[in-house]
Amino acid sequence: MIRNYLKIAIRNLMKYKSISFINLFGLTVGITCCMLILGYILHELSYDRYHANAENIYRVERSWRNPETGMPSLELGSVAPAIAPLLENDFEVIQALTRLVSPGRVSLRYEDKLFNEQAAYYADEHFFKVFDVEMVKGNPEASFQDPFSMIITEEVAAKYFGSEDPIGKVIRMDSQYNLKVVGVFKDFPSNSHLHPGIMISFNTLKDPEIYGEEVMRNDWSNNSFFTYVLLPEQYNHKDLEAQFPAFLDRHRQDGGDKPSKYTFLNLTPLTSIHLHSKKDLELEENGDIGRVYIFSAIALFILLIACINYMNLSTARSVLRAKEIGIRKVVGAGKGELVAQFLCEAVLISWIATLLAFGFTWLGLPWLNKVSGQSLTIDSLLRWEVFIPLLLLPFVVGFFSGIYPALFLSSFKPIRVLKGVASINGGGISLRQLLVVVQFSLSIMLIIGTVVVYRQLQFMQQTALGFEREHVVTFPINTAIDENFEAFRSELLASPALKEVGRSSLVPTQRLLDAAGSYIRLGDTLAPTSAEIKFVTVDDHFIPAYGIEMVAGRNFSREFGQDTAAFVINEAAARVLGLPSAEDAIGKEFQYHNRKGRLVGVMRDFHFESLHQRILPLVFFKPLPPFEYGAVSVKIAGQQVPAALAQLENSWKRFSPETPLEYSFLDDTYAQLYQAEQRQGTIFTIFSCIAIAIACLGLFGLSAFTISQRVKEIGIRKVLGADTSTIVALLSKDFLKLVLVAAIIAFPLAWWAMDQWLQDFAYRIDIPVWAFLLAGMLAAVVAFLTISYQAVKAALSNPVKNLRTE
Amino acid sequence: MIKISNLEKIYRTEDVETVALNKLTFEVKEGEFVAVMGPSGCGKSTLLNILGLLDDPDSGSFLFDGIEVAGFNERKRAELRKRNIGFVFQSFNLIDELTVFENVELPLIYLGVKEEDRKKRVEEVLDKMQIMHRRNHYPQQLSGGQQQRVAVARAVVNKPKLILADEPTGNLDSSNGNEVMELLTDLNEQGTTIIMVTHSEHDARYSHRIIRMLDGQTVMENIMA
Repeated sequence: MIRNYLKIAIRNLMKYKSISFINLFGLTVGITCCMLILGYILHELSYDRYHANAENIYRVERSWRNPETGMPSLELGSVAPAIAPLLENDFEVIQALTRLVSPGRVSLRYEDKLFNEQAAYYADEHFFKVFDVEMVKGNPEASFQDPFSMIITEEVAAKYFGSEDPIGKVIRMDSQYNLKVVGVFKDFPSNSHLHPGIMISFNTLKDPEIYGEEVMRNDWSNNSFFTYVLLPEQYNHKDLEAQFPAFLDRHRQDGGDKPSKYTFLNLTPLTSIHLHSKKDLELEENGDIGRVYIFSAIALFILLIACINYMNLSTARSVLRAKEIGIRKVVGAGKGELVAQFLCEAVLISWIATLLAFGFTWLGLPWLNKVSGQSLTIDSLLRWEVFIPLLLLPFVVGFFSGIYPALFLSSFKPIRVLKGVASINGGGISLRQLLVVVQFSLSIMLIIGTVVVYRQLQFMQQTALGFEREHVVTFPINTAIDENFEAFRSELLASPALKEVGRSSLVPTQRLLDAAGSYIRLGDTLAPTSAEIKFVTVDDHFIPAYGIEMVAGRNFSREFGQDTAAFVINEAAARVLGLPSAEDAIGKEFQYHNRKGRLVGVMRDFHFESLHQRILPLVFFKPLPPFEYGAVSVKIAGQQVPAALAQLENSWKRFSPETPLEYSFLDDTYAQLYQAEQRQGTIFTIFSCIAIAIACLGLFGLSAFTISQRVKEIGIRKVLGADTSTIVALLSKDFLKLVLVAAIIAFPLAWWAMDQWLQDFAYRIDIPVWAFLLAGMLAAVVAFLTISYQAVKAALSNPVKNLRTE
Repeated sequence: MIKISNLEKIYRTEDVETVALNKLTFEVKEGEFVAVMGPSGCGKSTLLNILGLLDDPDSGSFLFDGIEVAGFNERKRAELRKRNIGFVFQSFNLIDELTVFENVELPLIYLGVKEEDRKKRVEEVLDKMQIMHRRNHYPQQLSGGQQQRVAVARAVVNKPKLILADEPTGNLDSSNGNEVMELLTDLNEQGTTIIMVTHSEHDARYSHRIIRMLDGQTVMENIMA
């Protein structure tokens, strides 16, 4: 029986080639999109699960809240170094604990090879007990305890040592310390939330020059130590979390408020770091569960549109199948057998589509990797727990797209269809119309989504930031430059290509994380404020280098000596300090942390961080020696970029021969802040186009059938004097009505969805009305062009011939 | 074999009621060859549909082999139909996508006959209809006469008790038409009951008895010599 079904299905596929193509193409593209997106989703969901202990590892994290408002003020994925030993001491349930801290960018030299390394971490020897690290050479648990020892990835080993054996080799770090290579490990897989290239033994930090054992034991303020604990299987980590407030109060009480009122510790499961953690400090940029949902929805939309094509075309085509159905019924087929036959056909088509989709997925993966920044391989789809369900997909898709046509077709009255009196349109048309409406609603929603994503991107890229970001080059400062900064600066400024050179602890685009308590003069007293003000230390030249506008007062200046008692705040800070105007701020006595001085200037608010963040209250002051500058910013005279860069390279080599210069243009750094959105925009566009193309292909097929059933009507109208345009209008009108209905349904849904998406941005566009008009018009125009091809063809045909064929 | 009494079928649209069968009563005995004649719209096709268990009467009784089948649901009708009734149509109604062999095989598939037996029976029948040499051709590759022989082969392959023929020669020239009528006569002589709707007095002469219908009722019966 099945063989008979398949036989006729294949012969039908061959006979109606264009319909078969539309169905097969639509389903193949739909399933391909699904597979590609499934690959992406599986990859996102697999993060950090490869560790044997994955389910029992938790990251200890610290956050702060404003005790008065209860609003979170800072949330870090890491904690202070003092916390880990106390945790191990207080809680027996902790089976193992490991720490990881980044020294920031380090420059490493081996013989004549000199590189800046970003992915270097100090890690302790327990790291290997908690996490799975595949060692290629060396035993870290034995030799990694020694200070100044390091293990490196194969890639790093190849970079420094080529084919030589790296074990025992000595690398010089920051021209200060010698590190001995004691092991080589395999690169961490792409689905890991961290990718260390170099791990330096944690005991190195005990060196007083670097950090110091005693300091580390008592340091509660440098909360940049990523701390992971291994808990027993089946243990509920909430039980441990519940003991943290008492833990903090026990160890941190220093009079005044209980620490547990404003600072918190929590545990995040290792496996949810990648998709769910959005801390202010993370090891690497994480994924986003929202993005996973969005892409899943898009994949389902496209598959749905393709399934609808199948339903529509199969029912429309029923005219051609009516005779066969009638005959089968007459010779004994029951309804069940006919339903089975048509489902069989749908499943067959889905099967072919699935096989083709595997091929296209394989071809499409490199592209998806490029636009999504992933490194997916087809392997993730070939694992049995994914592959077996994928093999079932054709049955699901086949059933879903075939069940309605099957029920519809099998309900024909045999004698009527055999006599050719059956009017096939009957009840089918209304559902077909509904399906077209669904398809176009989905397409219109995707178009609106695309427009909104792009408008928001454009908005972020074009919004005036309140400072000049063009032609600004930034690079990290090092001791050599810092010690001779004035000379370095003078040499640079001697070139007309460079306009200004300034130093700061942070540069725009970086996150503002550090804040301290502040006091302001109220009447006779210096009263503490509840204001949460972030700080950046800058030198005299930072504000001019960025062209930041002063609304009142002055910049730091040599005219006032070191000027270290001066504070410059932004308007947001003036507001939270309760100052009625910028002018009122000038001269006000102010204390920040333990430094007392006066407010000397107020800057116009500007976007230090990305537009995802609100403009925060901010204070600038000059650091006391030893300076804690992090970066140098150089303002280049427009048009003279090559000359400026050459000058920069030259001077750098003279002042800091031991470290390579790695500069970046602020413009580029800025663009990177929105890379995730940029990628989302690209993917949105591509998938919207695919969705519309499939929907239109379906409409093309459907209109061809509908019009073919109206040839007699068209013939009569032409005989009675209708001209081509009237007929085209007549035939297009019905379909355009459907697009209109689709638009009406899509508009509120799209508005709601995009409004949700925009909530992620502190500064966002109003959803433009024209996006809706554009999407509606675009859908209508594309639909009209699709239909009018058929309509014009029908309208131009010879009416006499049409009437005879009836 | 067939006994219908007071059979009624009314087609209703929003504002028109058409009486297709009006308290129709007649009987067909096993082994009979009956022709039904009458002008277009007299209810011939409706009658054939009901006799073929493709449609349900609104009221009245329909005894098939002594069993009351009026009121049978679709599944029961399909079951009875595929075991007992063969159809021959004016327009042959072969499935274009299936070969001659596959077309004839179809009823046996729905009967659940095993593949080996199917092959034997189909070949037997094709041989009898003298179209064995065309077994792998598609309907469009055959002449009208050949197509109708395939249709007859399909109608008889499951050895039905009753063959319903709806103007079987209507699309054929006279010589092909005669051939088909000879085939039906042969089948009838071998014991198959045949009810044939026709406009052709010539064809009707092959039957034992002619029932003439008008406005959903029998108006006359002629017993053929």
